[in-house]
Amino acid sequence: MLARVNAIALNTFREAIRHRILYLLLVFAVVLISFAQILSLLTVGSEEKIIKDFGLATIDVFGVLTAVFIGIGLVSREIERRTVYTLLAKPIHRFEFVLGKYAGLALTLLVNTCVMTAWFFLVLLIKGMFDPRLGIAVLLLFFQFLLITALAVLFSCVSTPILASVMTLALYVVGHLLWSLDLLAKRLQTETGRILCRVLYYLLPNLGNFDIKGEIVHGLAVAPGRIAWATIYLLVYGCAILWTACAVFERKELQ
Amino acid sequence: MAVLDLLDIHKSYRSHLSIRKYWILRGLSLSIGEGEVFGFIGTNGAGKTTTIKLALGLIFPDQGSVRLFGEDASRVELRRRVGFLPENPYLYDYLTGEEFLDFHARLFGLDRITRRKRVKDLLERVGLGNRGYRQLRHYSKGMLQRIGLAQALINDPDLVVLDEPMSGLDPIGRREVRDIILDLKTRGRTVFFSTHILSDTEMICDRVGLLVKGALKAVGTIDELVSRDVPYWEVALQGVVNGNLPCGRIVSRREDRVLVRVDTQGDLHRLLSILNGHGARLVSVTPARQSLEDLFIREARAASVPTARLEEGHARQS
Amino acid sequence: MAASFVQRRRRQIMALGALACLLAAIFVQGRIEGLKPGATAHPLLYLPSGKYLKVAALGFDGLLADLLYLWSIQFYGSYDIKDRYTYLERIYDQVITELDPHYLDPYLVGALIMTAEARNPEMALRLLDKAVNANPDQWLPAFEAGFLCYNDLHDYTRAASYFEKALRVPGVHPLVRRFYAEMYNRAGDKRTSLKEWLEIYQTSDDPYAHGIAWNHVHDLKVDVDIADLTSAVGRFRDREKRPPRHLQEILTAGLLPALPRDPEDRDYLYDPQTGAVRYGGGLVLGR
Repeated sequence: MLARVNAIALNTFREAIRHRILYLLLVFAVVLISFAQILSLLTVGSEEKIIKDFGLATIDVFGVLTAVFIGIGLVSREIERRTVYTLLAKPIHRFEFVLGKYAGLALTLLVNTCVMTAWFFLVLLIKGMFDPRLGIAVLLLFFQFLLITALAVLFSCVSTPILASVMTLALYVVGHLLWSLDLLAKRLQTETGRILCRVLYYLLPNLGNFDIKGEIVHGLAVAPGRIAWATIYLLVYGCAILWTACAVFERKELQ
Repeated sequence: MAVLDLLDIHKSYRSHLSIRKYWILRGLSLSIGEGEVFGFIGTNGAGKTTTIKLALGLIFPDQGSVRLFGEDASRVELRRRVGFLPENPYLYDYLTGEEFLDFHARLFGLDRITRRKRVKDLLERVGLGNRGYRQLRHYSKGMLQRIGLAQALINDPDLVVLDEPMSGLDPIGRREVRDIILDLKTRGRTVFFSTHILSDTEMICDRVGLLVKGALKAVGTIDELVSRDVPYWEVALQGVVNGNLPCGRIVSRREDRVLVRVDTQGDLHRLLSILNGHGARLVSVTPARQSLEDLFIREARAASVPTARLEEGHARQS
Repeated sequence: MAASFVQRRRRQIMALGALACLLAAIFVQGRIEGLKPGATAHPLLYLPSGKYLKVAALGFDGLLADLLYLWSIQFYGSYDIKDRYTYLERIYDQVITELDPHYLDPYLVGALIMTAEARNPEMALRLLDKAVNANPDQWLPAFEAGFLCYNDLHDYTRAASYFEKALRVPGVHPLVRRFYAEMYNRAGDKRTSLKEWLEIYQTSDDPYAHGIAWNHVHDLKVDVDIADLTSAVGRFRDREKRPPRHLQEILTAGLLPALPRDPEDRDYLYDPQTGAVRYGGGLVLGR
């Protein structure tokens, strides 16, 4: 089983690498990180904060965009364009297809993130602003990408490329707003309203768990165990999503 | 033992927006034996591709069972012995021909040496010998069809399922595919393919199935389906001066050529024997055998499928 | 086949048309600039408070704070915009620092604008108080607040309490300690000032600080000693109905435990006619 998943993963990775969108996104990211430099000249005060904030935000946004568009492009389009027929007529389980795709996308994201981060660190090193703790912030951002990719794969199995993109991006936005749901829960008058808020708060993917940008940039301490728990959250929630995707795909009619 | 066995298959389809169900297949039963070449013909939208997808487990029947090699078709292991070429295959255009075949070979767990050898052999076999290094997005339609066929054969399958294998190929390509299918037959493999091109079917199939609007209207050998009696002959003559002939009817005339229709073998002999006397020359004698096409059109009409278009389409293709 | 003459002409006309339209658009843009209501009604001034902006920021609070801060310093740097201080507190207190309470620059620069340009030091102090509360690990905001009290408000006691807050932060710049010590002097409490300066003198290993401290200790000691002696003279006069003939009499009368000597270890000078005590040397800091 592993060999087949591996074959599909590498194939997916190869496809992603040869996708022109990937390079476009990378170029933009690199340009933006360099732009941060120029922007920081406008400030009165600390340049460092602006460059760091900008760099991390760029990596964050472009990682998410890559996860969504390349992810959906590679899975949803494949299902839509029926390249998947020849694959599924082989002795391969449907869930192996899903997992293989995910693994290939994860690998692509890893390479992407490393390139952007390397550039970012280079800029910081040249300006003497480097802080190794930034690596931890990027690591958590990468966990976020992995979770979003899993969502992209799930929605690709369920729907058309456009709808899948919209749904994944919507969950990205919601995932960052869950803290307001928590606040809302405390404000609501009705009991059902409060319960609903609580339920949603726990069910929806809480992407705020992977956001320690603020703490790292300001040099504040990160609560111990925060990173360990975030990792566990990724593993558990990610598995839930992927398992759902496999289950959905098992009985999907491939028209 | 039947290689592929479809038993009382019902398949419906419901579009996203409406609640109405559309039946694609109603009570289809079909059985394909080992070593036979089975041609699946039918009108557009009759359900040929649906049947094929059901056989391969890409979609699931509402009712009925599908069995491959005697076992339930949903067993993934059975696909080791199957090769499939879909209609208009969309392939990974960023891969080269060799990478594409190698990828599929890997899914069977073949080791590197076997893979390399098979890839090379298959590229030769489908006529892409020296073009395996190019990316698929630079392939012409015909080349794509060939690489798709190669992919279907990569595991040396016992059952080969092809959906419109001739589409997009020029006459040379079609002959090559026909030869491949015949070659598979000599090796004892079973081939199940769907096509629009009836002349190819007549040439290579052991048995034929005609699907019209989701129902199997006819299935059997060509001889069983199409009567071999000759209803009439068409005789082309040159140099006939006057229109009076002892037998037969003049169908068309152009300058000094005439086309004469003769209804019996007796009349035919009589006509041929008097030619010298009239100073006429024989150009050709063509027996008008009932063809598969006639059967096709007859059944389609019976099911009230609009046939004017059909005839146009077939005329263009042959 | 090369494009025919007609085709080429057509393309040239299209290109020219596009260019002409672009130039027209640039011209129109120029006209619109003149018509805009002017920077007083800048839309960014109607920003929702930071609490609500956080929702829109989707986790990019820090970046949004950066961008708004950059905008704000461009805005407050353009002197031709009238009434630009109306929303000053809103922008810095309710928006930018609400988005990122740990970003120091907006507090400091905001307070500067509030003090120096809007002439509202109390507003500045409110902002700096917020900074101090949100960033207990930073000494700079408290120092700035103290400096503001000292320099603008001349409220030395208040300044001293701010400097004390700053001193509680580990790693505080030694300058702050000196300011703190000097505040007591300015407030009139020379004794405490002397005590503080003495401690600085004794504990600093930086020769520069050491030197400064010595200067202050020197002068303050003189002031304090003279004050003590003058008060003792007064008490003697009250008791004996006459000024002491020389300072020794104070000692023998038991009004002081000992006679302080000046920093050069000489006696202080005393004039029995006027009852005034004087210092024989020159004050270092010349006050």
